[in-house]
Amino acid sequence: MPGDWRVLLALIFVFGPLSLFSIGGGASLLAEIEHQSVAVHHWTTHREFADLFAISRAAPGPGTMLSTLIGWHVAGWPGALAATVALYLPSSLLVFGASRLWGRWRGSVWHGAIERGLSPIAAGLMLAGGLAVLQAAGGAAVWAAAAVATGVLLRWPRLNPLILFGASGVLFAVAALFGR
Amino acid sequence: MAERQQQRAMAGGARIGLMAIFAAFFRLGVTSFGGGTAAWLYRAIVQRRHWVDDQAYLVDVGLSRVLPGSAGVNLTVQVGQRLRGGWGALAAVFGLLSGPLFIVVGLAAGFARIAGSPVAHAFLDGVAGSAIGLTFATGLVLVPRGRTEIGQIMITIATVVAIGVLRWPMLPVILCLAPVGIGLALVQRPGRG
Repeated sequence: MPGDWRVLLALIFVFGPLSLFSIGGGASLLAEIEHQSVAVHHWTTHREFADLFAISRAAPGPGTMLSTLIGWHVAGWPGALAATVALYLPSSLLVFGASRLWGRWRGSVWHGAIERGLSPIAAGLMLAGGLAVLQAAGGAAVWAAAAVATGVLLRWPRLNPLILFGASGVLFAVAALFGR
Repeated sequence: MAERQQQRAMAGGARIGLMAIFAAFFRLGVTSFGGGTAAWLYRAIVQRRHWVDDQAYLVDVGLSRVLPGSAGVNLTVQVGQRLRGGWGALAAVFGLLSGPLFIVVGLAAGFARIAGSPVAHAFLDGVAGSAIGLTFATGLVLVPRGRTEIGQIMITIATVVAIGVLRWPMLPVILCLAPVGIGLALVQRPGRG
């Protein structure tokens, strides 16, 4: 069906460029995905978008499976595949090329110095990324959960985090049921 | 080149098969709830399997966050490439994404209504909060802590304050701090222990 082709192409043309403009992670990307799928292309209503976003959070894996769901919502499995590949392929090729290029210089004095020099910044970026997500997520309870989980995982590094996540989720759900 | 990288990574151990890479990242994909793929990857690939070392992991984390795209997928591409070149990267990314792809569509097909409920949202908030804790714990483990590394510790703190607290744009901050870090590394030379 020609209509289907047009939807798939539209998905590719929306998510492909987003792949390369999403510097600094998910939050800025989210607003743009919403704008495109609700206001520009009418793939979802506001309500449907909110539902798909909630579902994408419940699934495991890297945070941005939202595009997959929008593709699936408008065009079934072909849509899910097109949206996923469009969002991840361009950025993956870029990082692949960059790290290949970087590997060529392995062994030189500068190579080692740059790698060692950048690693404290990389550790800082991980921590800063966690803080950014916390600030976006809001709620004092979420901050508390993060603080407790940090402490527990530092104290018991071998604990399976899934146990902790499940306990924390159940605690929040119970509080929402009976709280206030 | 891939051979050499791999030998560095594994200290001369056996070559890691594509299926093993796919399987490891598939498992990583379906167990990494709450986002924070980098922290899960550290546990699965660095701590449990010892396929890459801390230093290589941190280099990849840095690049994965600076370049556009999902940091978790970017990191997976780089680690896969270290293990087995282009095919390794492909196997790792397919492994990482294929499980969550089916799960997320399955959830959408079956549980669309449940996902809208306040209790479900609260549950997900709880998971998200502790998942951020996993990222913090992993980041803290990777912060340099030797006596001679006070300079490095200051750089980590400066990065966290500038980007995480003051919310300054990432690239200019890195461009200012990188020369300091590289300078320190040049002065101090290897000798990490």
